[in-house]
Amino acid sequence: MRGFRGRYGGAIACLFVFTVINYITPLVASATIDFALAEKPNDDVLTSLIINLMGGGDYVKGHLWFPAFLMVCLTLCSGFFSYGKDRLAAQASDGLARKLKDRLFNHLQRLPVEYHDRAETGDLIQRCTSDVETLRLALSSQVVAVSNSLLLLLTALPIMVVLDGRMALASFVLIGPIIFFGYFYTKKVKHLFLEVDEAEGQVTRVVQENITGLRVVRAFAQQDFEIEKFAESNRDYRDRSLRLLKLMAWYWSTSDIFVLLQQGFVLFVGVTFIANGSLTVGTLFAFLMFLNMLLWPVRQMGRTLTELGKSLVALTRIGEILQVEEEQPPQDPVKPGRPAKGGLTVKDLCFSYGDGAVLNGFSFQIAPGETLAIVGPSGAGKSTIMSLLLKFYGYDAGSIQIDGMELSGLDTEWVRSQFSVVMQEPFLYSKTIGENIRLSQHSAVDEEVSAAARLADIHETISGFTSGYATLVGERGVTLSGGQRQRVALARAMLQKTPFLLLDDALSAVDADTENRILEALRSRHGKRTTLVIAHRLSTLAHADQIIVMDGGRIVQHGTHDDLVNEDGLYRRLWQIQNDLENEIPLTD
Amino acid sequence: MKTEPEEDVFSERLDLSLWKRVFRHALPYRGYLKRLSVSAVAIAMVDASFALVTRWAVDDVIASGAESGFTPQIAVYVTLTVLLCVGVWIFIRAAGGLANHMSHDIRAESFKRLQELEFAYYDHRPSGWLISRLTSDCDKLSRIIAWGTLDLVWAFCLVVIIGIVLIVLHPVLGLLVLTVVPPLVFISAWFQKRLLLSSRETRKYNSLITASFSEALQGLRTSKALVREEANLDEFRNLSTGMYRVSLQNSLQSAVYIPIVLTLGSTAAGIALWRGGADVISGEMTLGTLVAFIFYAGQFFDPVNQIAEVLVKMQGAQAAGERVLSLLATKPGIKDSEKVKALLEEWKDRERPPGIAPDGGDSEIRSIEFRNVDFCYSETESVLENFNLKVNAGETIALVGASGGGKSTIVNLAARFYEPTGGAILLNGVDLQKRSLAWYQSNLGIVLQGPHLFSGTIRENIRYGHIEASDEEVLVAAKMVNAHDFIQALENGYDTEVGEGGSRLSTGQKQLVSFARALIGDPALFIMDEATSSIDTETEQVIQHGLKAIFHGRISFVIAHRLSTIRGADRILVIDKGQIIESGSHSELLAQKGHYHNLYTRQLRQGFGMAS
Repeated sequence: MRGFRGRYGGAIACLFVFTVINYITPLVASATIDFALAEKPNDDVLTSLIINLMGGGDYVKGHLWFPAFLMVCLTLCSGFFSYGKDRLAAQASDGLARKLKDRLFNHLQRLPVEYHDRAETGDLIQRCTSDVETLRLALSSQVVAVSNSLLLLLTALPIMVVLDGRMALASFVLIGPIIFFGYFYTKKVKHLFLEVDEAEGQVTRVVQENITGLRVVRAFAQQDFEIEKFAESNRDYRDRSLRLLKLMAWYWSTSDIFVLLQQGFVLFVGVTFIANGSLTVGTLFAFLMFLNMLLWPVRQMGRTLTELGKSLVALTRIGEILQVEEEQPPQDPVKPGRPAKGGLTVKDLCFSYGDGAVLNGFSFQIAPGETLAIVGPSGAGKSTIMSLLLKFYGYDAGSIQIDGMELSGLDTEWVRSQFSVVMQEPFLYSKTIGENIRLSQHSAVDEEVSAAARLADIHETISGFTSGYATLVGERGVTLSGGQRQRVALARAMLQKTPFLLLDDALSAVDADTENRILEALRSRHGKRTTLVIAHRLSTLAHADQIIVMDGGRIVQHGTHDDLVNEDGLYRRLWQIQNDLENEIPLTD
Repeated sequence: MKTEPEEDVFSERLDLSLWKRVFRHALPYRGYLKRLSVSAVAIAMVDASFALVTRWAVDDVIASGAESGFTPQIAVYVTLTVLLCVGVWIFIRAAGGLANHMSHDIRAESFKRLQELEFAYYDHRPSGWLISRLTSDCDKLSRIIAWGTLDLVWAFCLVVIIGIVLIVLHPVLGLLVLTVVPPLVFISAWFQKRLLLSSRETRKYNSLITASFSEALQGLRTSKALVREEANLDEFRNLSTGMYRVSLQNSLQSAVYIPIVLTLGSTAAGIALWRGGADVISGEMTLGTLVAFIFYAGQFFDPVNQIAEVLVKMQGAQAAGERVLSLLATKPGIKDSEKVKALLEEWKDRERPPGIAPDGGDSEIRSIEFRNVDFCYSETESVLENFNLKVNAGETIALVGASGGGKSTIVNLAARFYEPTGGAILLNGVDLQKRSLAWYQSNLGIVLQGPHLFSGTIRENIRYGHIEASDEEVLVAAKMVNAHDFIQALENGYDTEVGEGGSRLSTGQKQLVSFARALIGDPALFIMDEATSSIDTETEQVIQHGLKAIFHGRISFVIAHRLSTIRGADRILVIDKGQIIESGSHSELLAQKGHYHNLYTRQLRQGFGMAS
């Protein structure tokens, strides 16, 4: 973040020059009034200096266009510095925000899966977006605004004292109260702003739930109930906003009183001094102009300071994410130069998520090209094996070996690129269908992509879309059904041609007919890839070379389909549930 | 049809008739509007008066040395201060009150309308789009109406008043100073438009970035498995760089804009000093007037800027206004006819004898019949053509067939989520359109493929099917579908919070709850639309056990691709291309050795390895 310090320094320097020029401009008018128009020469150093620089009172009197021109030039000049400060501050804060976002994005991707299991997605997104935005605003406008007010005050003080000590004193009478009032008032009502935000969020949530649950609402004809529910949150939002508004009405009118009284006080103290001859009209004019410049930003300062408090909270929240350690690569990772052959040996594998063992002494062995199926009730630990193979978690004891190499010592990225995975609820990126299939095979030609899609029995569906493979997936494109998503993900896996294929209940949402076609296609490629299949429907598993039946983290049965059907145990029980209906139909033909 | 998500349009012209229509929604709050306008005019007058007090005091002290002191000026100044603050207090309350009440009302009305609109309306509109209509669009419009009116009235009055004062004080110099106003207006409008467009661009990038974070988190495992971290980061960098660029552009625009208008203000002050100074020297003008002139010259910027901002915002919000007004103007396609409404009104206060529904019709559902029904979602593709089917109470109808064949359409029509485009659906022989929609739909119990629960407790979710149900009835419904056991086993039992969309329960558990929800109202018509396809074998078995009791005494429609669910139906219809191609009981259809037989045996054989 060091690169941005220079820009910030530049911004502050510009701000300083800008402020000084802004104080000089009214002095030009003030000197002109005193020396050329009112002819009540002023004995303070600054005004005399300025009139002398302009060529003296008599010259100005004859050339009144000159001070006018000078004022315009000075404003232009200050405008230049104002642009400079805004530009530098924006470059610094926007640049910082960009860098921070990139870093957060990368960091999040590289955090271990364990972290994401516990973290709440909505909260993380908020930290990465609104909190970064809060920080950006703080840096680009709030910090600049506060430094602006402070510089205005600090620069004003010496200039005012040089002009007239008594008037300077009069000008600062209410500055303190104005700042404190703003700060403490907004601090006091801060929680109300949060409550209004919360109420607004509630309104959004109710609408969102209503729209996503539309079919349920209609199915039970609960429109009136929903309208009442919405009316409640809608009312709450309105009433909270109104309550806050009442308080803010007091805040704005009261702080206006302070500001106006401060200006009035200086005006009348000033004219009184003019009456007794100890002050010139020009000087009073200068003071009034100064106050005009000074008071409005200062009035905001209290509020801005409160808001800066928010950005500190945002900073902590962002820091909390960045402090979490990223996925650690193994020490001296082994990274074979070529793809694995496809042998997999698991021995006495133990794993737990912290509360109770998920896998307990788990062993099997697959030769390259073989298919292994895993069945068992939900929660038996089936998916956990997939996660361990992909190194999403480290295992506690036992060993996993790919072609005889221990998994924990292998390079993480190399391991992952040996597997193609299709999960039960596959994730598709908001890209086109073609890009989704091609994700890790960018070089694949169209024919290869459509061949993979045919294997996954999704080619017809895709071709049916108006834009075919160029159809976007997601909110801005087509919404695919669960089964279609699974098939797109399968096509992706087909294209990948890695030594291992993992199917984690990958065809659960596909109808039976289609599933059969896909399985047949897969079977015809038997022997090419080592395949691990998890499924509920036994139809997916029957042809596997080995079937493992799991329960409670252990292997309870192991064998081929024919072995297991003839064995008393969980497999036969599951098989019977699905088979219940078989009894009544003749299987003769 | 895909609707662009957000404010992609910037109207070149201000559509006054549109704003008039939006403004109508402010009319119920005339009191606020009146107070708002009066206080805006008053504040403008007070704002313009301060410089005059200064002039008065300065001239007084120069002319007479203020022997009498400044009591009158101080009195006037303090009065003005008090007036201004009271005015500010009133206008904030009035404008804020108006904005909040108005957006509340539009939101409530829009939400109500959304509850009445048929599915066809939702089919074309993503949920995010609809949510923005009810949240940001409503707020935006009401804010523009309330604060925009205030700003316009105040700013316009202030510019006019200052203009008049300047011309009265010194016609020639007044006109000279006023020459900066037109360029000020022009420049402000130009920059405000650009600022609006670039800040929109920034917001667009911002939402893309949010979506990107969301995708990274949701697809975390996939990205890791595909080793896509670097590629994702590269794509993200493109976005964050784009955001940097537009955000910087926005900052730079205002960084240029402000110095330019300040210089214009300074030019006006310079003109006043130059020409006015000459008049002061020649004695034609007092020093106080000159000081007032210079102050006024600097006072133009704010109101002109406000006017430009409001007008540009109105242009930018026209699309939002159009969308909200069109939502409010959309007439629901499926609703009670005038005749039904009259009947409902007639029966509202009357004592209803048993067997009479709120619309005066039969309250018992004995049969439902599709007679020559045609249906299409769009004019080009017909889904059902001349479809006929009659189902009597107590019958269970299973619909099987390839997806896209029209199974879901049939149940959607039976539920009156859509209306037939030809033919009619008859209830006890009476056209369904002659019966009350709300009454009819309260007789439905539906279980959908993706079990959607609302955030709240399990008890609340089950009760959703029949809000008046007692705890006892909730228990009975849960037991009926065998959900009681798992609910009891949860830490808080029936009071367990299910989380948003039911996320804290497994899919199977959610489906069990949604079965209980569908049955608690003892519906006359029960529909299962692929209700068992996404659940595991064990849960399916649990549900299977309860099905007999569930189907008893009702008209039931079942869509499923698992044949085990279908087998028990009284009649199985094989649907293809909107037609019934086979119909009969399980055993009858098997005996026919047609489509159903093929489907069935193939599934079985594949399932149990018979083919090998």
